[in-house]
Formats: sequence, structure tokens, C-alpha cells
Amino acid sequence: MYTKTILLKDTNYGTEDKTKEFYTLLLNILREDNLHEQVQVVRAADVGVYNQGFVVKILPDNIFYANLKNEDVKRIVDETVKNGRIVDALLLKKEVKQLRIVLRNCGEIDPESIDEYMEAGGYQALKKSLFELGPEKVIEEMKKSGLRGRGGAGYPTWMKWNFTRGVKSKEKFVICNADEGDPGAYMDRSVLESDPHSVIEGLVIAAFVVGASKGYFYIRAEYPLAVERIQKAIAQAYEYGLLGKEILGSQFSLDLDIRLGAGAFVCGEETALIASIEGKRGTPRPRPPYPSVRGLWDKPTVINNVETLANVPYVIAKGGEYFARVGTQTSKGTKVFAVTGKVKNSGLVEVPMGITLREIVYDIGGGTFSGKELKAVQTGGPSGGVIPAEFLDTPVDYENLQKLGSIMGSGGMIVMDTDDCMVDIAKFYLKFCVEESCGKCPPCRIGGFQLLGILNKISEGQGTLEDLNTLKRISFAMQKASLCGLGQTASNPVISTLRYFEDEYKEHILNKKCAAKKCTHLLNFKILQDKCKRCGVCMKNCASLAISGSKEEGYTIDPAKCTKCERCFEVCKFKAVVKE
Amino acid sequence: MKKLTREDLDKKAQAQKERSQDWIKVGLSTCGIAAGAQEVFNVLAEEVKKRNIPVEVKKCGCLGMCYAEPLVEVHIEGLPAVIYGRVNKDAAIKILEKHVCGKMLVNDYIFDMEEIKR
Amino acid sequence: MAKVVQAKINNILIRVEEGTTILEAARRVQIKIPTLCKHPDLPPSASCGICIVKVKGSNKMLRSCCTPVAEGMDIITHDPEIVEIRRTVIELILSNHPNDCLKCARNESCELQKLVADFGIRAESFPQFLRDLPIDTSTKAVDLDPKKCILCGRCVYACQEMQDVWALSFLERGIKTRISPAGDILLADSPCVRCGQCAAHCPTGAFVEQDHTAKVWQALQDQDKYCVVQIAPAVRASIGEAFGYAGKNLTKKLYALFRRLGFKAVFDTNFAADVTIMEEASELEQRLLAGKRPLPLITTCCPSWVDFMEKFHTDMIDHFSSCKSPHEILGVLSKTYYAQKMGIDPAKIYMVSIMPCTSKKYEITRSDEMSASGYQDIDVVLATRELARMIRQAGIDFMGLPDEEADSILGEYAGAGVIFGATGGVMEAALRTAHYFITGRELEKVEFENVRGLKGVKETEVEIGGKKLKLAIAHGLSNVEYVLNKVREAKLRGEELPYHFIEVMACPGGCVGGGGQPYMVTDELRIKRAKVLYEDDKGKEVRLSHQNPYIKRLYSEFLEKPLSEKSEKLLHTTYKGRPVYRR
Repeated sequence: MYTKTILLKDTNYGTEDKTKEFYTLLLNILREDNLHEQVQVVRAADVGVYNQGFVVKILPDNIFYANLKNEDVKRIVDETVKNGRIVDALLLKKEVKQLRIVLRNCGEIDPESIDEYMEAGGYQALKKSLFELGPEKVIEEMKKSGLRGRGGAGYPTWMKWNFTRGVKSKEKFVICNADEGDPGAYMDRSVLESDPHSVIEGLVIAAFVVGASKGYFYIRAEYPLAVERIQKAIAQAYEYGLLGKEILGSQFSLDLDIRLGAGAFVCGEETALIASIEGKRGTPRPRPPYPSVRGLWDKPTVINNVETLANVPYVIAKGGEYFARVGTQTSKGTKVFAVTGKVKNSGLVEVPMGITLREIVYDIGGGTFSGKELKAVQTGGPSGGVIPAEFLDTPVDYENLQKLGSIMGSGGMIVMDTDDCMVDIAKFYLKFCVEESCGKCPPCRIGGFQLLGILNKISEGQGTLEDLNTLKRISFAMQKASLCGLGQTASNPVISTLRYFEDEYKEHILNKKCAAKKCTHLLNFKILQDKCKRCGVCMKNCASLAISGSKEEGYTIDPAKCTKCERCFEVCKFKAVVKE
Repeated sequence: MKKLTREDLDKKAQAQKERSQDWIKVGLSTCGIAAGAQEVFNVLAEEVKKRNIPVEVKKCGCLGMCYAEPLVEVHIEGLPAVIYGRVNKDAAIKILEKHVCGKMLVNDYIFDMEEIKR
Repeated sequence: MAKVVQAKINNILIRVEEGTTILEAARRVQIKIPTLCKHPDLPPSASCGICIVKVKGSNKMLRSCCTPVAEGMDIITHDPEIVEIRRTVIELILSNHPNDCLKCARNESCELQKLVADFGIRAESFPQFLRDLPIDTSTKAVDLDPKKCILCGRCVYACQEMQDVWALSFLERGIKTRISPAGDILLADSPCVRCGQCAAHCPTGAFVEQDHTAKVWQALQDQDKYCVVQIAPAVRASIGEAFGYAGKNLTKKLYALFRRLGFKAVFDTNFAADVTIMEEASELEQRLLAGKRPLPLITTCCPSWVDFMEKFHTDMIDHFSSCKSPHEILGVLSKTYYAQKMGIDPAKIYMVSIMPCTSKKYEITRSDEMSASGYQDIDVVLATRELARMIRQAGIDFMGLPDEEADSILGEYAGAGVIFGATGGVMEAALRTAHYFITGRELEKVEFENVRGLKGVKETEVEIGGKKLKLAIAHGLSNVEYVLNKVREAKLRGEELPYHFIEVMACPGGCVGGGGQPYMVTDELRIKRAKVLYEDDKGKEVRLSHQNPYIKRLYSEFLEKPLSEKSEKLLHTTYKGRPVYRR
């Protein structure tokens, strides 16, 4: 039996991985000392530390050494392995950045087992709400917690509940908004699939507080596994009497049902969501009246997002004050982000509010996988904006992101490097909103379409400086005159890229250049004669007959005929075709 | 099934100690399944049954490390609990043979995530 | 008493009832906030985004059409920024709208055109793009040009909520959003009942009545044709609006007008309304006393209602009066009775109906029974709005015309005939005559005030000859279901019938609110128009259909008696179920 385990890894990237050499070295030293029977050495794939050279982690002592040279290995074995002394000079003090509250059970328990959820303390918060606290005190705890809606707008959850609780009505509803639609965001899906009961428990508590007797999960149909797991979880909760009549023997009864969203982004907007559940076309209606006063079937309705609800059992079980110990002045608790794009470790992270973007992207995300310079981070999905690298040290909370022209949104976070063109990014998000616009009001319906037309023009090198003013004028009108959040924020990607990267727009307009080489219309395709092997594949594949030449003379591209379809670039095996 | 009372709820919360100490968990959420976790799970479950290995194969949700899916967490008495990432069929067999049966950690697949597991 | 809230609009202190919108509150202090989607007759759809205002302390702009004034609000309705945004939105709308103004039916009455003019937009700020969408002319009554649609949603509200027809809906989304029957079929294949409420409320030229004035001009010029005309009750009360005069009875100017236009004889649909009453009151009498066919009796003067019933409520066919609508009756009488009496070849008679209605355009070819005279009984129907255009084309100073009388034998009407144009009017007229038929005595007081007014469903009782008659009047097709369901439930349970007599008019307010009437209708205007008709009735010496001497003459000389064989052949029709969707 081994008494110690040493994990090791070459954490530099962009260079050749020397983990194996290092492994042999360590193993040999241990053999020399005849320790290889007591200590097992294991090559790790990832030790959660990046660009710190050779790293070892000694278990069970949990000692991290980083930036090791070959000669350090002997020292570690002598000092730490043999004598249990720590070599301070080599020690890596690793701070844990993540804090898992929403994701507390994700990946820990079997999502299809209600028993495992209960073993992890599940439904204790419901019990506490029903029998110890009562609605008023639950709201009190929620108020103390400072929990704000995680769906995007950040409205204090307790206030929503309190409004609905205060409205007199025979019938009230609670809805879990699981119509997650931002491109690149999948926090809610993950929670629904990994810990469905925590969301159900949150929804039951919300229903109890406001006095609702019926609740809905509104889940997009593109999440079949989430639907299946919620379905199973609801059935289990019914069996155990945690749903249905007289829950846990109390006076409180609640029925839960699932409604599927058919894939319209706008149905994540609460009034459109309500219309959709009612069987109508999913278009927003004006607010006020807010759904908390007049919502589903004109009855008071609380709509909370998945992540918000997953927080609720934790808040109630641990107390509002305990929850509020984490976070900033205005934003309490944690936030789950889906970190994607040019980041090494793409995935879900849950971090305390107030953490900096740099910590998320570098310490947790491992930086850009290309090793190229980070250019910007996009947050908030299509309603959000880009935050350039110079603001990476901004603590993340609702207000700070807004000040930077972006939003917290539902938690999408896309990392961009120098290969990303900001005109192209604006185009991408705008196209999404143009396609997802419900079509009800002209600022969004036509404004978005016109913006996209101008962006296309600019990316094709046909833009004028006047277009920048037009972009701003339409964007402003969309912000102010659109009915719903989607329309009001659809121009944000344009506004924020213009705010920080106007020069890049001008580069496209005046110099007809796209530095990131994304806007193909602005590129010239060239064949590097020294790399060209004269195979002629490019010529055969050129549909516009822009490539001429022969095996003897070599090949050239006529820029006048080239349609920039990129075909030659794709088919050339020798990387002889380049974009400039 | 009998409806639970308040007291039953507390009993349920205490139940965990009786569970098996040796287990393998496979992350079976959309991200994992898309990366091939279902196949890994099936292989593990089949082989454990076939070879009569005293270990429980369980499923769980998503740990968030999407870049490393499929993820397999292994807990065997006397060894540190570890997460293996980018596990394929072959790696799954290796985990069974070397880690579970041979009580040795498997090289090149461990994702040591203090961020998530501590 | 509703709570009063106090607020400021452009620094003017206002006190309004709680729930009053900012748009409405502003109007009360002489501030007009522009809007393109809000119609005073309809609830706000909040689609156009033009009526935005600022409220101090908020970064957002609010839509005044749907935002209620809240206590202490400090509202700004106009400042350079707001005006600029409005202009941008209008320009955006314009970039998705054809520049067809000169050839558009709504030229000079288009709400978008007016806004563009008001904002002084002289150039295209944004490139124009239009989808190539065909015009749907299939109904032969109302045309849909989806390119001109600004998606304000008024028609959808009218079609779904007001009329419960659900022919129209929004299709697709984003920039491709458009108005169409569900399933992208033609209107004629959809549940559309051609009531024209879409066209009456449309701000642009997306929905317009088909224009048939050219046909009338052509007929008038044709030496072989003997052109005659009839005027529906509601037209006389609304045509003045097209010339700046609301609430005026212009019956006699209309008579003069048609003579000047060249019509050989000028009739009045009111006369035929009297005939309808003779027939329908007899039917009611028969059903009540002889039990020939089931009660309740349901009126059928409205072709949209008939179409609606034939599509959605075929179980009620037996309850339908077999009586044709008044203008059809006048049509058939003009080509039979009148032709015989005047010695005119009925083939030459060309009958033009001036109607408040788009549905009548469809009715005239609804079935073979609409050619009971051997010829198509009505040759062409013009809606009120078309007539207004025709008057302008003719260059006639309409309001300056002298008063004239209608041609006799098909022109003189009793007061009962003219109130047909208002909801409850048919019922009231029928009751006046039915009372006489049943009791043999005349009424001392001919008015039945309980059946009047704009309440969606009016339920009341009258006593005739010691028998209590239970009545229901519904107008606006969305009010029909309630009434019919009561009948159905009673039948199902074998209980006493809830009603003996039901009147239904498809359009809210009855024909005065018809789909072919002048634009910008509101309840206020409907009441004003109805008042004209009730005043006309009040001023008439003869107020009961059966007392109209020309009616007596018609029966003695030609039809013999109500429900005679001849009457049945000429004045009555049959009904059959029709598919809701024809595809």
C-alpha cells in the first residue's frame, strides 16, 4: 500500500509537454531511495494550475510545488517525502476561486435519485419553511440574503415574492423559467440535469411563500434530458408527498407541471413566456402590470429563473445572513458562468460575486488556449457587451458590468483573443437577435435588420464613416423605443463594440482591413510560391476561375476574379494559400 | 409509496453512512453524454458485473468541467479520490483494472480540481 | 369612485382616475402624443413604439399608450431626444413600407402617411426593403396587401377578440413577420366572414375594401342599363363624416346625389327593412303560436353573421329566420314588382346597394337564391367609404345639395325600417309589428329602450298579449357564443328556453359600426350615428312597418301576404353548413 501519492504535470502550454521526462526523473530518484514501493507517482492531465512550469502535488498532505527545475526534485523527495518538511521556496499557494452553492450537488449526487438529494440535506429547507419559518420569515431571510434574480435583470427575489404575496387572489402561480437561450450559456441546463430537486425545492418554497397552488416549469424543448430529469424528479416528489396535497402533512398543497418552449428566444422574456404557456403567440406585452401582480391567466405569478431557485434552499437552510457573507455590497452570493470561446478550460464555473474577470479567465479558465493575447470578454449573451482586456480587473457584479456597457445576463461569458474581429462579433450577436425578434415592434424588428445591413456593409468594405452615426442612431432608438428586454438590448453588442473598438470599425471602413482576418471580403488570397508544391488542387477547386497557372510556372490568384470563398485556402495541404 | 412526514425526512438525511465506500461515478449530463459518457458508463457497469468487482457504478450530473468530459470520479478505500477526464472505453477498462482492482492511480487522465473537489 | 392620482405632464399638474394611461391623460391637457398602433376604439397593443415618453427618475422611456399614470409621476412627452427617436422609428417603419402613396387606397387617410408628413421626413434615411408578398383579393370584399402592413395588430385584435373569427394571425417572426390567415392560406379559404373590421381599423392600406366605383360609373354610362340605387340605414348617419360633418342625417341629400349621378330611380333599403319586419314578425308569430319551427328565432339581416353561423354554429340553422337581408329583398323586388309595375325589362335594371358593410359585397353571390328574380338581384355593392370617393370623383358639393325625396313604391319607409342600422333595431322594429300580429292591437308606446345601447349582450323581456317574450341582442361576434350557449344548455337539459327572439349583428354597434363605414370609429361615434337613426324614426309619422302604406300596397298588389308562396320564393332563403377552412 502506498503512503503517499505524487501527481505531476508540466503546466506550460504552447510549448512541448515534458511531463513524461519529468515523470521518469522523479520515478528514478524515488527508486534510488527505494521509496517507489511507498510512494506512487502519477502523471495528471490537469492539476488546476496553468503556466507554472513543472508542478507536483503531494497527497494526502496536499502540498503544491510549482516551477520546478530538475534539481528541485531531489530536494522535494529528501525534504518533503522523506521528512515531511515543506520547501517554502518552491511552494505554490493556490487559492481556490470557486464557491459552489448553486452547483453544490452537481456531479455529486445521482440526479435521478431523490434519496441522494435528501441525504445531501435536500428538502430540509422546505421543512424549515413550512414548519419553522412561515411565509413572512422566509421573505425576511430572502431579504437578508440579498439574492437577486439570476436570469438577467437582477431584480431582488424577495421583492418579487413579496409583491405577489401581497396581492389578493384566489389563484396564484409560480413559474420556473428554464428557457435558457443565450448562445453559449447552459448553466440552467446543467443544474436541471444534475440537481433537479434543488430547483423543485426552491419553487415549492416560492409557491408556499406567495400562496400559489400551481406551478410550471417552462423548459425549452431543446433540453430533452433536463425535461426528462425534471419529470422524474417531480414524480418522485409526488410519491414522497413533497408535492401534491398537504405537503409533508402541512396545510400547503402544490401541483407542478412542465410546459415546453418551442425554441423562441423571446419566450425567456417573462410576459412572452406567460403568453406561450397560455397557448398564445409568444410575444411580450407591456409592463406594468408586472406578472407579480397580473401574470399567467391574469393571476399573480412569480417567475424565477433556474439558478435563482437553486439558491433558495441554500439560503433558507443556512440563513440569509450566512448567504450574504459572500459577494459585494449590492450583489450577494455566487454566480455561475458558462465560460467558453478561446479559453483553455471551457465549462461552468461558480464564483463569488466580486471576483475579477481576470481570476475567472486565467486562474480558473487557464487563459486563452491559443496562447494569443486576450482581447475582450463578452458577457450577458446577445443582450450584453464586450469588455476589453484593460478592464479585466473589474470585480464582477451587476452594477460594474453595467457600467462597462455590458450586463451580468444569465451568465454566458465568451473569451476572445486577437483572432476575433469586433465587427464580426457584433454581427454574430445581432444576427441572433434579428432572427429571434418576435416581430412585434418596429424598433427591434426593423431596427435590428437595418443595423445588420450596415454591419454587413462595413465587413464587406463598403461602409462609410456616416454609417457609424447611423448605427448609433438606430441603436439608441432601439434601446429606448423597444417594448421588451430583447429589443431594448439587442443593439448592445453594437453599442459596446463601438464604444471600445471604434478604431477597428474605422479600420474596416477607411483602410478596408480586418486585422483578425475574419471579414473575408476584406482579405486578399495569395499563393506563397516558396510553399507551393504545384499540385494544382487550388485551381481545380476554384469555382470562379480566379486561379491560373500550370505545374511548371506555378499558380496565381487574380484578385479581380476572386470571390473570397476560401475554397483554395481550405483545400491547400501545404498552407501555401494565405489570407492577408 | 408512503408519503413522507417531517421525521422521515430527517431519517433520510442520515441514511448516507450505510452506503458503499467504493464507488465510481460517471457524469451523465448532456455535456458528458455528448462526449461519450453513456458508453463509458455502460462499459464500466458491464465489466463490473462480468468480473464481479466489488464497486458501485453510479451516475451523477455535471461537474462543470466540460472541456474534460467524459468525467469519471473514483473513490476506492485507501486511495485518494480522483477525477479522471476525457475517459474513453479503453481508459475505463484501465481504471477498473489498475485503479479499482490494482489500487494504483492511472496515468494521464487525472484532472485534479481543488476548485471543485476539496 | 375610482381613486384619483396626481401627476405632472410637461409641468402641467393633472389629476386623473387611477388606471388612466399617460396618452389619455396628456390628451386631456391638450397634448397629443403621436402613435401609430393605438386606435381609440381598441385597447393598446403597444407595438409601434412611437408614443414613448420620459418619466423623470427613470432611464427608460415608457409607452404612453399602455402605461397608467402613477401617483407623483413627472412626465415629459416631447423633447428633442424623444422627437428624434420617434422620427427614427417612423423612418425605420418607412424603410419597410412601399412608397406607393399616390396609388394607395389610403392616400390622404393613411395614419403612417400623416405621421411622415408631420415629422417632415423628406428623404430615405435607411435603405428600403420589401418582401415580395402577393395581394390577397380572394374575398372579393376586403383585400390584404401584406407589404403595406406595419404589424400594429389592430386587425388581429378586431378579428380575434372583437369578432372571435380568428381568420387573421401573425405568421413567422422577426423581419419576416406578417399578417395572414393561419396556415398561410387565402382569406377566402379561411374562417373570414368579411365583416371588414380589419379594414375599418387598419392605419394603412394593408386592409382595404375592394373598390367597385368604376363598375358603377360604367353602368351609369351604359344606355342599355336602367340604374337604380338603394341606401342602407346606417349610411345616411355616417357619410357626412367623410365631409367633416358627424352625426347628421343626410338621407335627403343622398337622394338628390343619386339623381345627379344619373340613377333612374332612388330607393331606400329602409323600405325593404319594413318588408323584412312583415316577414320576420310573421315568422315569430308562427313559431310562437303555431310552433311550426323551433324557438328562439334568430335574425339574419347581417351576412357576416350568417356566414359565421354557417361556419361555426350550424346547430342553430333551424332557429334562423329564413328572411333575406333587406337589401337583397329590395333587389329582388326592384327586378320583379317594380319592373312589372313600371314596365321595365328587369334584365336592364342595374341595382346598386350603398352599404356600411363589406360583407354585402360577398352576400350578393352567396347562393342561387340571391338571384330569385331570375337575375342577380343586386348588381354591385358600394361601401360608405367608396361612396365618399365617388362623390368626390363626381365633383359634387355634397353638403350643399338640396333635399329631395326617394322614388315611391320602393322608397317610403316607416320609422321601424331606419333603426335597423343600430344594434337592437331589428328587434325593436319586429316587436312593434309582432305585437300587432299577435294581439291585433297597436302599441301605445312604440319604443323599446331596453334593446338599445352598446352593451355587448342585452337581455330583456317584453310582454306581448299576456305572454312574456325573452329577448337577447348581441353585437360584435365575440358576444354570440354566450347567447347561443345559453340556448344550447337549456336544450340539452330540457329546460325552459332562455330566449324567444335573438338579434345578432356582426359589427359592434350594428351596421352603424359596419366595416365599410368611415374610419376612426369609436363607441362615441357609434352612439352618435345610432342617434341619427333613432331621431329619424322619432320624426316619422308612420313608425310601424305594417302601417307603411306602400308596404300594404306591395302585399295587396304583389305578395299577397307575409310568408305567402311568392314571398317565400322571393324573400326567403336557406342555410347550410360551410367548412371553416376551405383547404
